Amino acid sequence: MTARDRILAAIRAARPAPLPPAEAIAAEAAALLDAPESVRPRPVEAVLAAEFVRKASALGTSFDHLPDRAAIPLAVNRYLDTHGLPPALALQPAPALAALDWTGIDTHDAVAPDQTAALGLALWGIAETGSLVIHSGADAPILLSFLPLHHIVVLEERSLLPHLEDYAARMAGQPQPRNAILITGPSGTTDIEGSYVRGAHGPGFLHVLMIGG
Amino acid sequence: MNAPQQGFKERADAELKNAVLKIAIDRTTGNAERKRAVAVAAFPEFQAARARGRAIKDHVIAHLDHYLEMFERNATAAGATVHWASDDAEARAIITRICLEADAKLVTRAKSMLGEEIGLPHALADAGIERVETDLAEHIIQLAGERPSHIVWPAMHRTREQVAILFKEAHHPPPAADDPATMVQSARRELRARFLGADIGISGANFLVADTGATCTVTNEGNAELTTTPPRIHIVTAGIEKLVPSTAHAFALLRLLVRSATGGEMTQYTTLHCGPKRPGDADGPEEMHIVLVDNGRTRMLADEFRPMLRCIRCGACMNHCVVYRQIGGHAYGGTYPGPMGAVLTPVLDGLAQSRDLPHACTMNGRCAEVCPVEIPLPTLLRAWRTRSWRERLEPRSVRAALGLWAMAARRPGLYRLGSRIGVRALRLFGRRGWIASLPLAGGWTAYRDLPRPLGRTFMEQYRAEQARKEGRR
Repeated sequence: MTARDRILAAIRAARPAPLPPAEAIAAEAAALLDAPESVRPRPVEAVLAAEFVRKASALGTSFDHLPDRAAIPLAVNRYLDTHGLPPALALQPAPALAALDWTGIDTHDAVAPDQTAALGLALWGIAETGSLVIHSGADAPILLSFLPLHHIVVLEERSLLPHLEDYAARMAGQPQPRNAILITGPSGTTDIEGSYVRGAHGPGFLHVLMIGG
Repeated sequence: MNAPQQGFKERADAELKNAVLKIAIDRTTGNAERKRAVAVAAFPEFQAARARGRAIKDHVIAHLDHYLEMFERNATAAGATVHWASDDAEARAIITRICLEADAKLVTRAKSMLGEEIGLPHALADAGIERVETDLAEHIIQLAGERPSHIVWPAMHRTREQVAILFKEAHHPPPAADDPATMVQSARRELRARFLGADIGISGANFLVADTGATCTVTNEGNAELTTTPPRIHIVTAGIEKLVPSTAHAFALLRLLVRSATGGEMTQYTTLHCGPKRPGDADGPEEMHIVLVDNGRTRMLADEFRPMLRCIRCGACMNHCVVYRQIGGHAYGGTYPGPMGAVLTPVLDGLAQSRDLPHACTMNGRCAEVCPVEIPLPTLLRAWRTRSWRERLEPRSVRAALGLWAMAARRPGLYRLGSRIGVRALRLFGRRGWIASLPLAGGWTAYRDLPRPLGRTFMEQYRAEQARKEGRR
């Protein structure tokens, strides 16, 4: 008897009645997600973007609002300049970013272990929590979001979702990426005496370039 | 596996005398308690969400085999290899074998209480594999050669000054100052090369998502992603009770978990790990192994400790426990401290080794009040006390005293006579309303005074009062 057999047999032995059909279990599981508004926080702001900014700012995320993608390089330059950083950037190898005019900034695909700044794209933003969603992929290395000290993220305002369940619904039944990550503020720790310190292992700074409206 | 070396009472006594420990515990648990209260107050739906969270966990526990098989099917389809372990020894053997077959020299590890439960740190050391803990608190206790004293803040028993001493010895270059920010920067620098040089990354899981086969980790530091992405192999260790039907169910529990643990609303990094690197992916491990561990959990399924399988490891029960806040986590002697640990340690280490733990409880009920999945912790602790009595594990003095009491309690006349003598005798030891020392009760009176009784029992006073009323009529 394998460990698998032993575990499953012990579970079945502990149950007084036989297992209901899979459809009945699925219906019961679905009912546990009914009336989501009764078990989740209500937004304070009526406008999704305002709620997202409110939530994310509270956690230390900074913002720049841009009219369109063409404005990204200038905004990045401004950010690097404000923080006294060299004009160098690890760029997510996505066509949408490569297509922009990066004159004056030294961009590269590879992210260095001591990378100062990196720029990537968020797939969605979640207003309830102020989270950015990224997925791993051929043009989306995960380390780009974790190695740099300054993580700059492009988010389209039209990609905002109200609640965590709305993201789960988008992904239900879809092919799953290796990693799906909800990034909520810069990296931090309270492991020494409960004191909050930013930039534990991941980025110490999270800056969102919010496009359009 | 993790049976304590000396008795609970000796450990608790030693910790009670440790003034620095008391300061360290108060700083962290006090903060956690305040922040949780604020987070719960800001979420009026919290009680409804809590009832829902409990229902989700109960649903999974009732259909555990169904969800385990569904998870295995989907994780396998995503390219992961699923392993099953009946106990800690089997889990250690599976993980060590994967490491040795991969010829791994360096393993990075993201904090996992299950890893501690199965004794993974020792198993890797015995196999000659270097292990680097990447969570800041785990890094601190690895340097100190200690075990976690809390399930959320494993190094909360150490003050900043004590951490500075460890870092100055281990970090090259040493941190320039001993403020938390400088020391966090030092750890970041020190661990960066280890992350990227590891052969295998080992993480735990906060949730196992049945309908996708993904494992979910939540961290604030970002160490889990740096542990699981660069190495060639990612190993997940998880208890079988971590299952949820879908990602949406995981999110419903996450709202409870974060608020209850740290008082935050969302962890900085909430990550779903679904299989190894896809063809063409820019980064990620080539292999993903998931080790599903029973280690006593199916036993709990069949007995009165079943509600404990709801536990989502938030640590709120210990943050609000008057006993934990006096003695800290190490005194408990097991992997899990506090109220949830006092219920789980007898399951894992045996009641004979840990019968003191369910007794180290005042039954004030605060743990159950704050538990985000409504686990009746005091009821479960009482169940262990009952078992300890039935299995004759209570010491002879306790059995004799309780036997004597039971004998008297069944004979009202004798009981009343005993009380009449008792309250009068106790008065002899009292001064100015208080009893400061009492023969045979030094363990009590060393720390607190007993009010001096009035000299007559309740029954005597009641009768006198009734007689007075009768006389008036």
